[in-house]
Amino acid sequence: MSDAAPLAIDTRALTRRYAGVDVVRDVTVRVPAGRKVALTGSNGAGKTTLLSLLSTLVQPTSGEAWIAGRSLGERSAALRRSLGVLRHSPMLYEALSPLENLEFFARLYHVPDAATRIEELLRLLGLWRRRHEPASILSRGTHQRLSIARALVHRPAVLLLDEPETGLDPEGIALLDELMLRAPGVTVLAATHRVDRIEAWADGVIRLDRGRVAEDTVSASVPHAGARA
Amino acid sequence: MNATFAVVAKDLRLAWRDRAGWLTAGAFATISILIYSFAFDLATNDVRPLLPGVLWTTFLFAGVFAAGAGFQREAEEGTFDAMLLSPVSPTVIFLGKLISSLIALIAIEFALLIAATILFDEPLLTPELVAIVMLGTAGYASLTTLLGTLGSGPRTRAVLLPVMALPLLVPMLIAAVRATGGSLGIFGGDAPWTLLLAVFALWSTLTAIILFPLAVER
Repeated sequence: MSDAAPLAIDTRALTRRYAGVDVVRDVTVRVPAGRKVALTGSNGAGKTTLLSLLSTLVQPTSGEAWIAGRSLGERSAALRRSLGVLRHSPMLYEALSPLENLEFFARLYHVPDAATRIEELLRLLGLWRRRHEPASILSRGTHQRLSIARALVHRPAVLLLDEPETGLDPEGIALLDELMLRAPGVTVLAATHRVDRIEAWADGVIRLDRGRVAEDTVSASVPHAGARA
Repeated sequence: MNATFAVVAKDLRLAWRDRAGWLTAGAFATISILIYSFAFDLATNDVRPLLPGVLWTTFLFAGVFAAGAGFQREAEEGTFDAMLLSPVSPTVIFLGKLISSLIALIAIEFALLIAATILFDEPLLTPELVAIVMLGTAGYASLTTLLGTLGSGPRTRAVLLPVMALPLLVPMLIAAVRATGGSLGIFGGDAPWTLLLAVFALWSTLTAIILFPLAVER
C-alpha cells in the first residue's frame, strides 16, 4: 500500500546517546499525516527517548527529524504548537485546579476562545464538576484525564503519547480512543505495552529493540523521495 | 507579554497556595534578624555598622532557599517540561519566573526591613535603601533563577544552587553591603557602590537571559 499523504513525522538516522550508550540508534521512520501508529518494544527499548526527541525536549546526538515538515532543529513555536504530548508524569500543577491548569496552558498556546475549549474538554472528560478542586486530590485516573485535556487544549495535529492508558478505567480508555487514538485527521505515535489494544486503534506498528527499529509497518508504504511536506 | 504574565500569575498563585517554602524562608529571615538584634544589643552599643551585613546575609540565604524550592516543585511535577513543550520561548519563561520571584522576594524583604527598623531602632525604609535592596535583589534573583534550572535531578539541583550561586554573588554582596552602609551614613559615600550594584544587576540579568535557553537544553 502506498501512502500519498504528507509526512507528519519523518526521521533520518535519529540517534541519542547517554553516557556512551546509544539509547536511540539510527531511527528512520516516516509516518504520513493522519496515521495512528503504535510504538512498541520492551522496557528500555528507547520508546520514551524517541518520543522525547520528537517532542523537542531532548536534542539528538545525530540525525535529523521533521514534524509536519518543520525541522526539529529549528525548535520553532509553530512546530511545538503542532504537538500534543502525554508523558509518564502528568505535567500538572498539583496546587492548581483542573480549570486553572488548563487556563494556564491555554494562555501559553494562545488558544482562541479558550474558555469554550476548556469547558468542552472538561465536560467531555467528565471533569467539569471537579474543575475547582486542587489537582492534588484527584485520583491517578482523573489526573490522566486532565493530562489528556492539557495535551489537547490547543488542538494539536500530531500527538506523541507515552503509555496513554495508564491509570484509566474502561470509560477513560473509551474517551482516550475517541479524543486521541482514533481522532480523525490527527497523527498519533503512541508508546504502549497494551498489545491487546493495538488493533482497536492503530493502523501501523513501529517496534523498537535496543534503540533500533526492529519492525516498521508504516514507513514501508511511504514513498521515500519528495514525500516530506 | 501575555505568556510572561501568565507565568507570573501562575507562579504567584502557586507561591500563595504552597506557602510552606516561602513561609519557611520568611521565618528563617525573621528569626535571623531577631537573633542578630539581641546578640548585637548585648555585644555592642552601636549596631549600625553591622546592619548592612546582617540584612544582606539574611536576604541572600532566604532568596537562595526560596528559589531552590520553587524549581524543585516544577521539576518533580514535570510542569517545567510542559512549559518548555509550549510555543513560548525559554526567555519568556525565564522572565516570568524572574518577575514572580522578585515580587515574592521583595515582599519578604520589605517585611524584614520593617522588622529591622523596629528591632534595631534605625530608619531603614528610606527611598535610597529601598532602591539598593531592589537592585541587589534583581541581581541575585536573576542568578538564582538561572542556576535553579541546572542539574538533572532535585538532589543535584539542591547542591548546585548554593555551591554555584554563592561564589558568583560575592561581588554583588560586597557592593550591596557597602552601598547599604553608605546610605546609612556608616561608610561614607555610597554612589560608586550603588553604581557597581546596578552594573552587577544588569550583567546578571542579561547573562541569565542569554544563558537560560542553553541551560534548559538536554
